[in-house]
Amino acid sequence: MEALNINLLHPQQRVGENMSRWQQAGGGTALRIATKDTAALVPTIKDADLRGLGGSGFPVWRKWEAVAKEAANPDKYLVCNGNEDEPGTFKDRLLLEETPHQIIEGALLAALACGINRIVFYINPDLTRSLAALKGALAQWQDGELLQLASNALGKPVKMELVPGSTHYIGGEETAAMEWIEGRLSAEGKFPFPRGKPPYPAQCGIYGCPTLINNIETLAHVPAIVRNGAEWFRDLGIGQGAGTKLYSLSGDVLHPGVYELPMGTTLRDLIYVHGGGLLSGKPLKAVFTGGPSNTLLTPDDLDVNMDFESLRERGGSLGTGAMIVVSEGTGMVKRVAEYARFFAHSSCGQCPPCKTGTATISRLLDRIDTGRGTAADLATLETLCRMLPGSGRCHLVNGVVHLLDSSFQHFRHEYQQALK
Amino acid sequence: MKRGLSLQAALAAYRPDAELAPVPELDDPDTLLNSYHPDHLRGSMTKLTIGPNAGADCQRELADLLQAEAFIDEADLAGAQVTDTDVLVVGGGGAGCAAALAAAERGARVLLVTKLRLGDSNTVMAEGGIQAAIEPGDTAQQHMQDTLRAGHHAGDPALVAAMVGDGPEVIRWLIHQGMQFDQTASGDLHTRRAGGMTAPRIVHCRDYTGLEMMRVLREAVKQHRGIEVWDQSPVVELLSNERGQKCVGAVLGSLTDGSMRIVRTRSVILATGGLGRLHLNGFPTSNHIGATGDGLVLAYRMGARLCELDSFQYHPTGLVHPPHLYGKLVTEGVRAAGALLLNAHGQRFVDELQPRDIVSAAIIRECREGRGIHTDTGGVGVWLDTPRLERSQPGMLQQQFPKLLARTHHVGIDPRLEPILVHPTLHYQNGGVVIDVNGATSVPGLYAAGEVAGGIHGRNRIMGNALLDIIGFGRRAGIAAAAAEHDRGPKKITLEHVNRARRDLTLAGLPLTQRAPRILPAYTAAGKDIWKP
Repeated sequence: MEALNINLLHPQQRVGENMSRWQQAGGGTALRIATKDTAALVPTIKDADLRGLGGSGFPVWRKWEAVAKEAANPDKYLVCNGNEDEPGTFKDRLLLEETPHQIIEGALLAALACGINRIVFYINPDLTRSLAALKGALAQWQDGELLQLASNALGKPVKMELVPGSTHYIGGEETAAMEWIEGRLSAEGKFPFPRGKPPYPAQCGIYGCPTLINNIETLAHVPAIVRNGAEWFRDLGIGQGAGTKLYSLSGDVLHPGVYELPMGTTLRDLIYVHGGGLLSGKPLKAVFTGGPSNTLLTPDDLDVNMDFESLRERGGSLGTGAMIVVSEGTGMVKRVAEYARFFAHSSCGQCPPCKTGTATISRLLDRIDTGRGTAADLATLETLCRMLPGSGRCHLVNGVVHLLDSSFQHFRHEYQQALK
Repeated sequence: MKRGLSLQAALAAYRPDAELAPVPELDDPDTLLNSYHPDHLRGSMTKLTIGPNAGADCQRELADLLQAEAFIDEADLAGAQVTDTDVLVVGGGGAGCAAALAAAERGARVLLVTKLRLGDSNTVMAEGGIQAAIEPGDTAQQHMQDTLRAGHHAGDPALVAAMVGDGPEVIRWLIHQGMQFDQTASGDLHTRRAGGMTAPRIVHCRDYTGLEMMRVLREAVKQHRGIEVWDQSPVVELLSNERGQKCVGAVLGSLTDGSMRIVRTRSVILATGGLGRLHLNGFPTSNHIGATGDGLVLAYRMGARLCELDSFQYHPTGLVHPPHLYGKLVTEGVRAAGALLLNAHGQRFVDELQPRDIVSAAIIRECREGRGIHTDTGGVGVWLDTPRLERSQPGMLQQQFPKLLARTHHVGIDPRLEPILVHPTLHYQNGGVVIDVNGATSVPGLYAAGEVAGGIHGRNRIMGNALLDIIGFGRRAGIAAAAAEHDRGPKKITLEHVNRARRDLTLAGLPLTQRAPRILPAYTAAGKDIWKP
């Protein structure tokens, strides 16, 4: 238990909008350190092995380096992605509510590292309390000493803006986010359609400017790394993992909630030590990881370390760190059908395979779930699982397929039982 | 309890023409209530430990149900048929029908589900009438004051104002639906004055007002194209969104084949009625067989706030004799028409037109202190002096209370010649689910109307306000539910609120063995083993 909430969610950090209390707890020191030597930032982050915690697990330094290399055209943008909308993920909203200054400092550090002068906080408007907290916090930074310090170190003024998102799930995809933000900044009003890649945002993002997009949790880690050093951060992790991770635990557990634990904590520790075990003492059936766009874990995976590498080795994925626990007695077909419905509804519709593919999957699953499905329907689903991956501009369609495929792997018998 | 006279001895001593001493002065109604009203029985109250009312007083047997485990699990939903509708109305009594009609009139697709059959309800048992301030000289303000005062000022003034304001319109609407009311010789609506009222305000149809009301409502519902009715389909659990914070549907269990069906909807209106069949504190009840408080259990688990869970109405005049009619109602209309209450010694002991809780407490006092009349089968009660009423107004019983005469005629009692033995019977749940003037509960998507809703009658209801309440708030809930907006995004239906309740139960160290809602009383054949042990 001693490893719980040691960094991001440390009680000293959870001061909400109160800037002076945050500064008393050491807030702002990282920024002062960094302004003295901005070139050291990227190597430090590389050393710390900080990953993209919005789901990709992509090394942060590589994105940073790419943006840092580009010339400003005339600006460079940073998008702090807080469009959290995945079922089962509720970590960014907590960070925004309780530690907004930490996030702002992290964003400024990223800006210093990459030479960015425009920072956009892109927040899901349904998270009204997060939005209010960040708004209140940002107001205290404007014209403040710390922001001036950053602007001086950068050589031009840093502008920070708050842009509420579109309420669309797809708006969390990085190119879709840029599309929406462009629309909002120019008041044109665009739908957040994902763009094709390449060019990657690092070369050509918002208004064609080099753009860095990082998740809120990722950025929140940066100040502590700068303050305490890369080695300190790496040592927080267990096994192959570095640092800490916010796990959103939900479903049939006694104590659902957000737990900051060392990266690489086992599923068993999360569920049985921190989560208090399963409700009514039922056996564990499965865990939907990283939000449902990823794979399923089963009781066999209880002792796997939950970091990006270890899960990838098992054919799984950590994703956003959401763990939706499902106990014995839950119908998997119904659950998967519900998620498929979510994705079918969330598809933006610009890529035909995704638009029709997700809708077909959802329809077939509903049919099987309500006892009207046939063996042919099941076969169609399996064919779709092979056909669809990679057929869309973004990863949405892959997400459904991963989940479906994974449920076939572990719970095929339930699908067969439900057939007519 | 001290023993009074036997039924035979009391009957032999009874004289319809005996001189009566005036009623002794009631010095302190609160002392009377505290000493004798069943709500104040020692050991009948406990405190709730989980849920939105944690820490509040609650009747013990009800608390056990509110803090019980759900009937179903996720596993029961696998393979269940899913039906989509705009508004789901739970309950086929007066409030449910009024809500369904109001919602359907506004273009919503309505599914009305009922545990037994459409019209199997307490509405049909309402005998006395329905209140509305329609007489010259009477005002809605007076109606409101009477309601609040009789409810010991525990009612929500906004709700009471809404109800009394609806009164005349409700009567007009009912007449338009085809309901018949008794009229005066000149063709005006005939009104009576009943306990706790400052003016005659009860509009009625003989002594079967509720039955007549249900007749027209049932016809209107059956005829409406926008309303589908499913009988024998009790709700065993509500469904919530993925955060367990909004009601998005319900799970129905079929009483005919035991299957489960899922209904997805924009809004759910609970009109499930009361809980008399829980027989709180061992009392008999005037309620119908399905009145098992399901709505309270479902709403509480969903996170809706309840109120006045320690306050119930015991109707003063339930039949004691013969035993198979134990607890059945003799309408307050008889007292309103002038019938007196006499103890075993032929003495009056209370002003019969006091509010119901006071009259009930007074009857219990007489019985407990040895002035009651005992039957061979263990019943005890006091006289409702109908022969004296008949002597003063010959033919009046026949004309105004045909239902009473028919019922007693079957068992060989003629109330025109011999008095009726009565004792308080569990009649009404004063509190219930907290609602606003639109019938909305504290949970989005969940509405409540009728007896299951609380806050209107305070801690004691006066006669005639129940029928007004069910139509007035039934229609209000129907209108609001039909106007509820669709959710953005795909409809996700979960049992997250059940999980939340399970967590609370586990953390509070309460057992997970008892299951609720009760659906049917445990003493019925079907109620013993519904779906799960």
